[in-house]
Amino acid sequence: MATVKAASVVTRQVRPILSLTQEDSRRRVLALYKAWYRQIPHIVSEIDIPKNQKQCQEKLREEFLKHKDVKDIRVIDMLIIKGQMELKETVTKWKQVGHVMAYWKDTVNKKPTDFLGKFLDGKD
Amino acid sequence: MASRILSQTSLKFLRNASKVSRQPAAPFSVGAVHSDKIDDELKKREAPLVPVDSMTQTHPHQSGVTISVTGVEDVGVISGVPEEHIKNRLVRICKPARNSMQSGSANTHHWEMEFESRERWENPLMGWSSTADPLSNLKVSFASEAEAIEFCEKNGWQWFIEVPKETKPKVKNYGVNFSWNKRTRVSTK
Repeated sequence: MATVKAASVVTRQVRPILSLTQEDSRRRVLALYKAWYRQIPHIVSEIDIPKNQKQCQEKLREEFLKHKDVKDIRVIDMLIIKGQMELKETVTKWKQVGHVMAYWKDTVNKKPTDFLGKFLDGKD
Repeated sequence: MASRILSQTSLKFLRNASKVSRQPAAPFSVGAVHSDKIDDELKKREAPLVPVDSMTQTHPHQSGVTISVTGVEDVGVISGVPEEHIKNRLVRICKPARNSMQSGSANTHHWEMEFESRERWENPLMGWSSTADPLSNLKVSFASEAEAIEFCEKNGWQWFIEVPKETKPKVKNYGVNFSWNKRTRVSTK
């Protein structure tokens, strides 16, 4: 048994998805963030969720910062496309209350942090 | 755009035709009136014609442009696989075991990846095996171990390789039974 991590740092030429440069993708990310940010007041007033604007803004920031370490331009582009889809689904109300509330993961059981809890959970 | 070119050419053709029809000076010809209108139409300023190539190659993915990407590809964040099935899953990359029936070494010349078993239990009533692990019965075949490793790296899974032991086939022939130095000779006494 040999656990190996391939530490090969190779530069490849690949086809782009949307952006051609890092700056290009950065601009797209900021544009998407602003689009979400501007829609939050409408989302809060239109959809019946027990959250206020500030909480939504914090969640938005958290969701974006979750992927702050992604470097691959193509992956960033895919995330932008997915974010755009989510925004459209939310604003056009294709998402229902439950789908929007899924961002907060209120119904997901918290993972145990202590030894016995982890053992009984049987996953780690 | 094509339709516009078509309309322009047909307009030109119409104008020429009307000029021709004007020449015999037919008393009931209305060609003069029509040709003026056509001239007006042709003088209209519209959007410039765009070459076809520039319209078909608008999307960067389709154009021949490439970008350089450094580092290991990681599609874990966009593949839709839940985070708990990326971060702490272990993949075993191995060659499948030989079939003990008459297959010889058939079906063992590729590499497979499978996940470690978790959340598995035996059904208390019937003894069937059950699992709550969505990746439990996933088996992917690869031509080489490098391909399997690349796939795991790309998806963000930890992996390990189980290299099969090379076994030397046993010599099996009749003469060995009488070998002078192998202790395979059966005493006759």
